[in-house]
Amino acid sequence: MKKLLCMISHAPYRDAHTLELLDVALVGAVFDCEVSVLFRDEGVWALLKDQDATSLGQRTVSKVLEALETYDVNAVYVCAASLASRGLDQDDLALSVKTIDHAAQALLIAEQEAVLGAQT
Amino acid sequence: MKYTIAIHSAPYGGSAGQAGLAFARAVLAAGHEISRVFFYHEGVYQALSSAVAPQGEVDLPAAWRTFGEETGIELAVCIANGIKRGVLSADENDRYERNAVTLAPGFELVGLGQLIDAIVSSDRYIEFPQ
Repeated sequence: MKKLLCMISHAPYRDAHTLELLDVALVGAVFDCEVSVLFRDEGVWALLKDQDATSLGQRTVSKVLEALETYDVNAVYVCAASLASRGLDQDDLALSVKTIDHAAQALLIAEQEAVLGAQT
Repeated sequence: MKYTIAIHSAPYGGSAGQAGLAFARAVLAAGHEISRVFFYHEGVYQALSSAVAPQGEVDLPAAWRTFGEETGIELAVCIANGIKRGVLSADENDRYERNAVTLAPGFELVGLGQLIDAIVSSDRYIEFPQ
């Protein structure tokens, strides 16, 4: 079983980056990969609760995130420094994720066989 | 060693096309294999046949086609990312009743599963970002 990590670092409604990478995570899970997702930098906004992208004419990213659990993608992480520097904490988020520091992110990356979205 | 190469930027939106193509040629020159080149995100525009490169600039769809013909390596364009950006094969052009086939010769529209399949069967996954 291959270990894949999707790193999401763009603001959720800036471009298609977030939803298209989540598609990779879901299809990876369907193809029996062990998928992890890490939100960092502007990507942490994707986790914010009470999102509604209807007025933007787009899919609501936090709704798509709920599908991760359905597909058994439970290894969902957020960068602690990215949250803190934006004045956010776990209470602001739509789903329960593991907050990890840079050292833990380095370990997470090191154990993967492929990393997608590593560069912004 | 076997590589999967992913291209994520459009011809005039970043350097992924030229850098990725140069890397792909270098991988083969060094005696390695490539399972597939996968075009994702804005990278699907590398396969847009209706683009006209200015004189003196590289025509990336044509350069990829030459690479594909010389090496036999599959140039795979994500179908979901492609059709929403107007990159249509003859089949998709018929299916959605549009009036132009815009997938450049040498490329194929494929499902996202083909990216995962390539990654799973490769030793290295290399991404050229947006």
